[in-house]
Amino acid sequence: MTANAPLLSLRDLRVDIGERNVLKSVTLDVPAGALLVLMGANGSGKSTLGLTLAGHPRYRVTGGQARFGGQDLLAMDPQQRARAGLFLSFQAPPDIPGVKNNLFIRTALNAVREARGEGALDAFDFLGSARAAATRLGLPEAMLARPVNDGFSGGERKRNELLQLALLQPRLAVLDEIDSGMDIDGVRAVVELVKDLRTRGTAFVVVSHYLQLIESLAPDDVLKLDQGCIAETGGLALARDIARTGFAQAHAQAPEPAEV
Amino acid sequence: MDTARADALSARNRIAAGAWLAHRAESFRHLPPPAAEVWLGESEPQQPGNCDASPLAGAGWTLHPLGQTPQGRVDARWLDAADPAQRAELFAGLPPPGDEDAAPFAWAHRALVRQGLRLRIGSAQEARGGGRDETVWLQLRHQPRAEVEAPMLVIDLQPGAQVVLIETHEREATPATTCQRALVQNLHVHLRLGTGATLRHLRVVAPGAQDRVAHHVHARLDRSAVYHQGLLASGCGYHLQRSAIELPGAHARARTAGVLLAHASALEQQVRITHGAAHTSSAVDALALGSGSARIVVNTHNRIDPGADEADVRQRLSGIPTGGQPRLVLRPHLEIHHDRVQAAHGATWGAMPEDALFYAAQRGLGEREARALIIEGMARAALARSLDTPELMALLDVDGWLARTVARHLSSPIEPDPPGACHA
Repeated sequence: MTANAPLLSLRDLRVDIGERNVLKSVTLDVPAGALLVLMGANGSGKSTLGLTLAGHPRYRVTGGQARFGGQDLLAMDPQQRARAGLFLSFQAPPDIPGVKNNLFIRTALNAVREARGEGALDAFDFLGSARAAATRLGLPEAMLARPVNDGFSGGERKRNELLQLALLQPRLAVLDEIDSGMDIDGVRAVVELVKDLRTRGTAFVVVSHYLQLIESLAPDDVLKLDQGCIAETGGLALARDIARTGFAQAHAQAPEPAEV
Repeated sequence: MDTARADALSARNRIAAGAWLAHRAESFRHLPPPAAEVWLGESEPQQPGNCDASPLAGAGWTLHPLGQTPQGRVDARWLDAADPAQRAELFAGLPPPGDEDAAPFAWAHRALVRQGLRLRIGSAQEARGGGRDETVWLQLRHQPRAEVEAPMLVIDLQPGAQVVLIETHEREATPATTCQRALVQNLHVHLRLGTGATLRHLRVVAPGAQDRVAHHVHARLDRSAVYHQGLLASGCGYHLQRSAIELPGAHARARTAGVLLAHASALEQQVRITHGAAHTSSAVDALALGSGSARIVVNTHNRIDPGADEADVRQRLSGIPTGGQPRLVLRPHLEIHHDRVQAAHGATWGAMPEDALFYAAQRGLGEREARALIIEGMARAALARSLDTPELMALLDVDGWLARTVARHLSSPIEPDPPGACHA
């Protein structure tokens, strides 16, 4: 990767789910430390993009390129992508019955640390930093000892995603509707954590419909995804336009996306 | 001939006179056990041709108090079944084998048993004439004493006694290239819980790959007694875990949770619970995790007798292939002879949770690590339904047992998940 090369570079990425073509052509660059907001109507392909980048086996890449940190992202397993520093905050994080949250996160963190050439954290050191991060994020400490997301509310699941994000400190984080289900304190915690991680060099792709969050994040770019293509790129003005007029109106006014 | 030898000979004749159970017993239809000769030590040993491993000569039962077990509450007697007086003491108060499906195993046991351990555990009130009750914590380890054996354990809990027991049968895991003496073991455990007594019982059974093992737990609960059993068992050449629990006392409660893991081996759990009195309750949970060409059978049968008013029965059986083409047979049965009762049963087959596996991979876990973590989690959740407090799970080192057992289970190469390989 050259000094000026983007951290994530997508060129004409096309993705099918089963027989359905969801992403028709997505081209975008995410520089290191940048923050992009991805907006789009339901079904436009936002979550598909996140899950494809993470390597979900049901999302079949039919064409195009994806490079991450100078490497061919599409040639990597999901765990290799994670260890290379790609983090996806799930829109609906699954529960894992019987697996304690602290054990799961410590195992994940040590897998990533090992890939970075860092030593494994023992349970004592891990718990110290996990408790501190949980407190900052408003996640009750007791959640660390409970099974992963089992019986968690929607907001608690999202805070648990934030906890993992805070501890893993990835190079690129894709946050898929992190604000949904969150109360106002949770949204504030998102903003503070994102700001903190950006100072450490983490880049973000944030999927959100919530203008107040988007404004608070001060994105470098706002992209509108429409019918599987990046239909429009702009700044906060684009987000405000969409918030004011809605996707249907914006879609009617926007030029047809160029198919490749 | 002394009475001990006469009793053993009589049991042997009993088997010789009747058909061995595989030919007539519905309970054993899906996984027929080896022939009677195997359990009587009359067949050729199934050892590798050039195996030079030492003959089995373990210590049998060893008893280990755990934690702050109160003194003077446990009376332990190791008894020689070849000695007429000791044999009489060993079998004192136990019913003779009846005519149920598994009775031939009991006759074979009587023919071969050499030694048994008998425990009598008193309550705090009994020891001190009243006062606050204290729980007795015990570990019983069994190491096989011979290639073909019929060990025995009898535990009497006096009224009000509170006991936590971990019982382990663990053969050392040896590399595939190392030979190991194969074991044939027909174990019978008799548990008798007095009024208001409570026994929380974790059983860990990890045989060697070629072993043939049949364990029979017979439990009888008096009024308001409580018996919780957690079973963690792995497959081998032949492996039967059978629990027959009688609830003749009103308000008696029994709960069992079995986690069964097998890879290219056989394992069957049978649970039979009889509700003989009013306000009795029972719950049976079983989780079968099979891979390769494993065969796992879970056979549960709860009977509610006439007059068992307000009896409550729950059965929940689950089977999950973790790789390869295992055969998982889940058979819940209810037999109800009274109107005013509650009963529910279900059997579900599923796959490894793909969403959880992907979630773990997205966090950087390798496939084997993720599978191990998720399987351990499912097993822990199942056992937690019987060993019902996190503190108890921690004190019994359930996590440690699970980690070792699941690691053994996954030590074979991962095979792709089958599209569906289950049978009702």
